[in-house]
Amino acid sequence: MIWLRSDLPLSKDRINYFLPWLVAFMVFLLVMALAFIFVLNATASKWDRGVRGSLTVQIISTDDKVEDEKRLRNVLTLLATSPEVKRYEVMEDGRLIRLLEPWIGEGISNQELPLPNLVDVELKSSSDFNAQKLLKRLSLKDNGIAVDDHQVWLTHLVRLIETIEVVALLVLILILFATIGTIVFTTRTALAIHRDTIEVLHLIGAQDTYIARQFARRALGLGLSGGIIGISLAIPTLWMLWQLTHSLDEYLLPDISFGLFHWLLLAILPFGVSVISMLTAKITVMRALERTL
Amino acid sequence: MKSEQESPIVEFKNVGLRYGLGPEVLQDVTFSLAPGSFHFLLGQSGAGKSSLLKLIYLALRPSRGLISLFGNDIATTPRDKLPAVRRRVGVVFQEYRLLNHLSSFDNVALPLRVAGVRKNEIEKYVTELMSWVGLKDHMRARPPTLSGGQQQRVAIARAVISRPRLLLADEPTGNVDDAMAFRLVHLFEELNKLGTTIVIATHNKVLVDRLGHGSLSLANGILTTSAAKAVLTSKEKSEGNEGLKKDGLKKSEIPPFTTRKGDSDKKLEPDSGQPENA
Ligand SMILES: Nc1ncnc2c1ncn2[C@@H]1O[C@H](COP(=O)(O)OP(=O)(O)OP(=O)(O)O)[C@@H](O)[C@H]1O
Ligand SMILES: [Mg+2]
Repeated sequence: MIWLRSDLPLSKDRINYFLPWLVAFMVFLLVMALAFIFVLNATASKWDRGVRGSLTVQIISTDDKVEDEKRLRNVLTLLATSPEVKRYEVMEDGRLIRLLEPWIGEGISNQELPLPNLVDVELKSSSDFNAQKLLKRLSLKDNGIAVDDHQVWLTHLVRLIETIEVVALLVLILILFATIGTIVFTTRTALAIHRDTIEVLHLIGAQDTYIARQFARRALGLGLSGGIIGISLAIPTLWMLWQLTHSLDEYLLPDISFGLFHWLLLAILPFGVSVISMLTAKITVMRALERTL
Repeated sequence: MKSEQESPIVEFKNVGLRYGLGPEVLQDVTFSLAPGSFHFLLGQSGAGKSSLLKLIYLALRPSRGLISLFGNDIATTPRDKLPAVRRRVGVVFQEYRLLNHLSSFDNVALPLRVAGVRKNEIEKYVTELMSWVGLKDHMRARPPTLSGGQQQRVAIARAVISRPRLLLADEPTGNVDDAMAFRLVHLFEELNKLGTTIVIATHNKVLVDRLGHGSLSLANGILTTSAAKAVLTSKEKSEGNEGLKKDGLKKSEIPPFTTRKGDSDKKLEPDSGQPENA
C-alpha cells in the first residue's frame, strides 16, 4: 500500500516510458562489457597458466635421420633424470603438420619438410627451474637445441589483453556514469515539473526525506524494469555469442565457461543498477530540496 | 500588543519584504499574536495580505527583520526542524493549492500522512471531518471535478485536520455566498475555542463587522492593529447560522478535529480559546 501510493503524480511523467528503455540499454551494455572482461580475464589466465611452467625443447633436424633419433633419445634421457620436470612428451610429426597447415597448406608429409623434433615439457610448479637452466644442461651435449618458454609472446599477449580489459572497464564506468547522469537529469526535470506540488508538501510539513522517498521509489521501479529488460536481452545475446565463438578455433579462444560467480555477478547487475538509480534520485532530490526554504 | 504570560504564537519585529529588486511590499511590520487569539487581516487588493501570510507560513523569508513562530526565531531554526514547525500551522491558500491528482480524501489526509499518522486513524479523522464540511459524498472526487465552494471546503478541511496551533486562511470565503462564509468561519471559531490562533485575510467587510474580532490592517506596506469591535448581536448571530442549518448542521456541533497523543503543546486550557486582544 505504502509502496504504491504517492503524493506526487510521478507515475504519469513521460520519463516513465523513456527511462526504463534507457536503463535497459545501459544494463545491456554493462552486461556485455562485463562479460567481455570476464572472457578476457579467463583467456589471459588460461593462456598464462597453460604456458607458464611449460617449455618446448626443439631439436633442430640434421639430414641424418638416425643421428636425429639419437639426439632426441639423449634429450629424453636427460629430461627423465631431471627432478624439476613433471612430464614430457614428444610431439608427433602428424600433430606438428596439422599445426602448420594453415601456413604451409595441406598434404605435406614430413619426408618433404625438415621438421624439428619438438618435446613438450611441463615443469613442476614449485621449481624455479627455467628455460635458461634447461638449455644449459641440454647444450652440454648438443648445440642444435633450442628451448622456448613462450615468455616473449606470452608477455605481449597478456599485456595486450590487460590493456583491452582496462579499456573495457573504463567503458563500463562510463556507462555507469552516463546512467547516473541521466537519472540526475530526469530527476531534476521531474522536480521542476512538480515544483508546485512539492512546495505544498513542504508547507504542509513534509520532511525532505518524505519527498525524496517518492522519487527514490520511482527510480527504483524504473531501474528495475529497465534492468530486467536489459538483462533479458543480454543473456540470450551472450549465449549466442558464446555458441558462435565456441565453434571457432579452440587454439585461439580457449574454452571459456562462466562460473557461478560470473553468472551471479551478471544477474546482480540489473539490481545493482536499480539501487544506483534509487540512490542517485534520492541524493539529487535531497540536494535540490536543501536549496529551497 | 501588551505583554503576555505565554510567548506569542507569531511575533514580527521590523519585518520588511521586497520581491527581487522591487519596492518593499511590507515595511517595518511589527506585531505579535497571542495564543488563542482570532484576527482578521484586512487591506485592499495588492496591500500585501498574502505576502504577510506567506512570511508566517514560511513560504517566504523576510528581506529584513525578525520573525518568531511559537517562540522559535525562524532565521536560526535549522532546516530539518522546520517541518515540525510547519505541522503546527494550518494554511488555507488563496488559490487552495489542492493536489489535483489526488482525491479530495487524500488531499485532506495529506497533513496526517506527512506526519506519519497511522492509516486507520487517518481514515477515521478524515471521514469525520469531510462529513462535517458536507463533502461525505465527494471524498473520492478529484478537486477539478468539484465546485469552487467544494474545493474551498477541501482546502479548509486540509488546513484544520491536524488541529494546528495556528491557522492562516487567505480569503477562505472569497468565492462563496455569505451563508457559506459564515458556516466556514464557524468552523474556524470552533477551532479557535479549542485554542488555535486564527488569522483570516479577507475582503469580506460584512464578516468582519459581524464577528468583531481583532484586526490587522495593511495599507502601503504598513501594518496597523486594532482591537475587537463590538461583538455581534444575537440577531446577526442567528442569521449567520442560517447557512449551517440549511446544511443540517447545528452551531453547537463541534467539528471532529483530530486529537493525537503526544501533541502536548496542543493541549490548551479550557478558557484560553477566547479571542485575546491588546
Ligand atoms: N511573487 C511576486 N513577485 C513580485 N511581486 C509580487 C509577488 N507576489 C506579490 N507581489 C506584489 O506584492 C504586492 C502584495 O501582493 P499580495 O499578493 O501580498 O497582496 P494581497 O493583499 O494578498 O492582494 P489580494 O487581496 O488581491 O490577494 C503586490 O503589489 C504584488 O504585485
Ligand atoms: Mg492575496
